[in-house]
Amino acid sequence: MAAILEVTGLHKHFGGVHVTRDVNFSMEEGEQSAIIGPNGAGKSTFMNLLTGYYRCDAGKAVFEGQDITNWPPHRIARMGISRAFQISSIFSKMTVAENVRSAVHAQMRRSFSIFGVAARIGVEETGRVLALCGLEGKRDLIAGELAQGDKKRLELAIALAGRPRLLFLDEPTAGMSIEEARSTMELVDRLNRELRLTVLFTEHDMGIVFNHARKLTLMHRGEIVVKGTPEEVRANEIAQKVYLGERNA
Amino acid sequence: MDIAPYALQLFSGLSRAMVLFLLSAGLSLIFGVMNILNFAHATLWLLSGYVTYSIFTVLSQQFGASPWMLLPAIVCTVALMSLFGFALERFLIRHTYTRELPEQLLLTFALVLILGDVIKLIWGVENRRINLGVKPMEMLDTLVNPYQFVIIGTGIGVAAGLWYFLHRTRFGKIVRAAVYSRSMVSALGIPIPLIYSGVFALGVGLAAFAGGVFLPLLPMSLGVDHDIIVQCFAVVVIGGFGSMFGTFVASIIVGVVYSFSILFWPDGALAMIFLILIAVLIWRPWGLFGTELRY
Amino acid sequence: MSAGNSNWWSRFYARYGVSGPAALIMFVFFLLVPLLPGEFWTVVGTEILILGLLAMSFNLLYGYMGQISFGHAAFFGLGAYATAMLFTSLKTPAGAIEIPEFLLSLLVGPPVAALGALIVGFFCVRLTGIYFAMLSLAFGELLFYIVFSWYSFTKGDDGIQGLLPPHFFQDASNYYYLTLAIVVAALLLMWRITESPFGYIMRTLRDNQRRAAFLGINVRLHMLMNFVIAGAFAGLAGALWGPFSRSVSPGLLGWQESGIAVFMTLIGGAGAFIGPIIGSVIYTMLQAVVKMYTVYWPLTIGTIILLIVLFVPGGVLGLVEKQLKARQGRMHDAGNGTDET
Repeated sequence: MAAILEVTGLHKHFGGVHVTRDVNFSMEEGEQSAIIGPNGAGKSTFMNLLTGYYRCDAGKAVFEGQDITNWPPHRIARMGISRAFQISSIFSKMTVAENVRSAVHAQMRRSFSIFGVAARIGVEETGRVLALCGLEGKRDLIAGELAQGDKKRLELAIALAGRPRLLFLDEPTAGMSIEEARSTMELVDRLNRELRLTVLFTEHDMGIVFNHARKLTLMHRGEIVVKGTPEEVRANEIAQKVYLGERNA
Repeated sequence: MDIAPYALQLFSGLSRAMVLFLLSAGLSLIFGVMNILNFAHATLWLLSGYVTYSIFTVLSQQFGASPWMLLPAIVCTVALMSLFGFALERFLIRHTYTRELPEQLLLTFALVLILGDVIKLIWGVENRRINLGVKPMEMLDTLVNPYQFVIIGTGIGVAAGLWYFLHRTRFGKIVRAAVYSRSMVSALGIPIPLIYSGVFALGVGLAAFAGGVFLPLLPMSLGVDHDIIVQCFAVVVIGGFGSMFGTFVASIIVGVVYSFSILFWPDGALAMIFLILIAVLIWRPWGLFGTELRY
Repeated sequence: MSAGNSNWWSRFYARYGVSGPAALIMFVFFLLVPLLPGEFWTVVGTEILILGLLAMSFNLLYGYMGQISFGHAAFFGLGAYATAMLFTSLKTPAGAIEIPEFLLSLLVGPPVAALGALIVGFFCVRLTGIYFAMLSLAFGELLFYIVFSWYSFTKGDDGIQGLLPPHFFQDASNYYYLTLAIVVAALLLMWRITESPFGYIMRTLRDNQRRAAFLGINVRLHMLMNFVIAGAFAGLAGALWGPFSRSVSPGLLGWQESGIAVFMTLIGGAGAFIGPIIGSVIYTMLQAVVKMYTVYWPLTIGTIILLIVLFVPGGVLGLVEKQLKARQGRMHDAGNGTDET
């Protein structure tokens, strides 16, 4: 199977602190995997580097054969890489439907259309994404006034608009009830299975990680310690020491 | 080469810089601590000039005319205006901390209009100035008003005092801490509302001082506050929000550039200042000595 | 209340918000203004429309893009000067101008202002918040001083005088209806833009620029385009101003003029499309009336602004909208007994 994402020698430091160090990483198309690691391991930085929020100091990132190293965020997003944030990052004064619709317009490259009627463009796709995320009933509510769990779902919906091919999820279930977390992760599984969406997520809840990721990457102090199937990582000695060990202690 | 005109412009530029500094220091402190851009700052300065004038006139009538009467007049004005600033913060400005930037600007701009007309109501439309009767001094083959040196001296003195206050006294250290982290200061158990009123009063006090000190050099006239306030904004931005040292350096840059531009391009002196401001904002939006703020 | 009536109203309201009914009512009033005795209210009405258009164009930046510009009047002034200069060169030595030449001189305002906005905006859109406000202020003041001091080209402080429109439009009512037609057309176009995909992208930039970038939006380019559009509309307002007041002067570019656009927008309500025009009606009418009785107009308007900021945040239309929502909420409560917070 072809690698959809290939990262080599990715390096980033802030001042004297190395936040990611010589990271080599690849994902295959259709893969669903998780990055785990203690706080400050460099998981979020890694995602920020791959989506263009930070510039890397050294290394290379290739997506679908295209070198995207240090591209600005909007160009990376247009390539089909999408992300959802840990703290829900939505358009809080707009309605739920408008949030998703504008995301759809952006992916349709209609964002410069000044004479089109927004309410009539990308209606189907907007409806599809809202239905997918179970937000049809809330489409006319103001996003900023939603409950926490719904905000996270909207966050995911915005990220899904326009059918991305690679999706980064930063702590997708943080702040959700157990029930909400379960349905969200089921949705992610379904997207991966039915639409062959490649998914990479970070997660603190080990139960979710082992149930929903087919591959795990363990980061510690900015470096990748081990990558493999959940069983392999579970069995790995260093992994137990740096991460699982800490939890059990 | 005849250096006399240049020396003259340098002195007038420096004394102008001191007034800009006294105003911008308060503006910068108030913005740093409370995130309020006080459009009315220069209007409060103007009002202080008129108040000083009136007190000076009354004192001269009571105790005989003497240039020294300016000193008690300035002291009274600073005390009065600081109190006024304290009250202003407590009863008006305080209600806008949770509002958006334009609404805060609008409130202080409303004060510009109101105070400007109050001045017109009380003092009328004639310009006011104090003639101290100081003889011009001969220097470098030309005549210099020695009062300019008094202004430059007091300006540097106040700058030093302000530095001492912010870095060596307890209240000053709290104020500096509040610029960086409000939550930390309140976590220390220090009443934030009092800090806010105090800083606002201090800022207005500095402006009042500038208003009094500058009175013998430049007549107070309606509307000059509109010009001065945008120059103060320029100073604060060029120096960097929250940096007292930056404000000092930027005041000197703006003051000196202004007075030298007058020599070469009289009508474009202010345009020069805005050119510098634009250059700084494009090259270093956070100013020459400021740290990058999150906004 | 009959069901049909309620449906018609609620659909109208859902589509246009409080702006719809407000715009309809205002349009009827605006049509009738010249029927009032004397020219006074017709002249005031023209001023309301022109400054209202300026405020509306400012709100494209503030209400829709979330950035506050203190130099917006610079584009108003650029449009006014462009029109004034072409006007002067087209008129006969006797000082008269034909209608086609007059309309041509109006047309030149928006593109010149848009060009200015393109240059200024190129730098401004790199910044946000207070820095955006400061940079726009600095550029506005720079343009003001250039116009002010470049006597050979702009006549400096004297301004350009003698912009007497063609005979037909010297009649206050005729110039009023010309202004009304142009402003209404401009507002319809603006409505179209704010309801377009681009208009909604502006709202995403107002709410969360970072998120928009991760959706594939080139933030600066979109902001620049909006800046240019807003500049062009301001230029159109400026073009109408010169022949209306028979002269232009550097003050049109100054920050006090920009301040007026900010006032109007906040008085009327930045959240509703038609808000700035309502603000212009209130501001300009008050000014006209108050100035008849006292020279202390700044004191009056200052006090009003103070009261609005303290007690009517969201402007007049914001207040109306809140009242309507509260009433709907109460009706809703009575219907099914749910809570309305």
